[in-house]
Amino acid sequence: MSEKVLLVDDEKEFLEIMSERMEERGMEVTTAESADQALSIIEKESFDAIIMDFQMPGMDGMEALKAIKNKKPELQIILLTGYATVEKTVEAMKIGATDFLEKPADFEALAEKIKKAKADKMLIVEKQTEEKIKDILKRLGG
Amino acid sequence: MAKDENILAQEGMRFFGRMSASATHEIKNALATISENVGLMEDLSMMAEKGHPLSPERINDISQRVNRQVQRADRVLRKLNRFSHSLDLSTESADLEKTVCFVLDLASRLIDMQEVTVELTPPVSPLMVVNNLFYLENMIWRAIETACGAAEGEKQVMISFGTDSAAPSIWFSMETVKDNVMNDLFGSKEDRAIMAYLDISIEKNIENNGFGLLWPRHKRYKEKDNVGKSIACG
Repeated sequence: MSEKVLLVDDEKEFLEIMSERMEERGMEVTTAESADQALSIIEKESFDAIIMDFQMPGMDGMEALKAIKNKKPELQIILLTGYATVEKTVEAMKIGATDFLEKPADFEALAEKIKKAKADKMLIVEKQTEEKIKDILKRLGG
Repeated sequence: MAKDENILAQEGMRFFGRMSASATHEIKNALATISENVGLMEDLSMMAEKGHPLSPERINDISQRVNRQVQRADRVLRKLNRFSHSLDLSTESADLEKTVCFVLDLASRLIDMQEVTVELTPPVSPLMVVNNLFYLENMIWRAIETACGAAEGEKQVMISFGTDSAAPSIWFSMETVKDNVMNDLFGSKEDRAIMAYLDISIEKNIENNGFGLLWPRHKRYKEKDNVGKSIACG
């Protein structure tokens, strides 16, 4: 099954070329030009991974990361940035970013991270389902 | 005096760093798009080796995209180079409108990040000042940043110029202003040090929705040969 990816960047040409390359590799790609747009998309659709630029007009990467994690904690977010400081990377990881890549990113490395993100998300969803079943059984049993 | 010089030096470094970081970030974005286009060419080449037909239109598209990004990166580098040269002379004659336009262009990415629209009304006739160009750019950026931060609602900032060429001024006004912002304008030690160095003062406008940078009347402002490095807005 192909990976379902949401690509968020305010650079229109970067979005076009990245989605073209990802689609060539069989990924299913949706694009958003702002964090606000991304937030409204994730309300309606589910994704294996979100690839998001860290610096965008309006809501910045850190705010967007918090908002997405707040809405969908299971979502795997890989951050892309022009320059990554150690401080920002650590802060983003603490909030819940899955990974961090500096632009220009190695496409093969990114594709690998997307695959890993999908596997991690499946594990989280499985665990959540298991918890729910346990909870239902507990309530029925007692 | 030495204390003021320290503050000026520190603020100058901070300003240079901020502008350079923004410009290099933009260059990185251009490089990232170029890099992905090169990657796509490699993908297409591999597919062609396996017998998939290679469309000349697609190659042409990629080449145009790469060319656009190269031009974009070149524009940013030119801005950065010109900005670096503002440190060349201790004082020089500068056209205020052209300097404001240059700072708006240099900091366009930072302004875009704040989602603010800036409108500039040119002066009736050129307004010249004799200042240190680097700190003049620094002060203009501080004024733009203050105006952008004070703008609320539609986030519109209007820049205009005084009509008296013997006492030049730049005016910044906001369509809607955040509460209490106008009570505490340019009070930091950095603002005071730069304003003293450039011999300018700050005044609120009559509508209390903006402020002006004012140069004193007693100074003679004349055009010199080194004016004209600036570019026109837009």
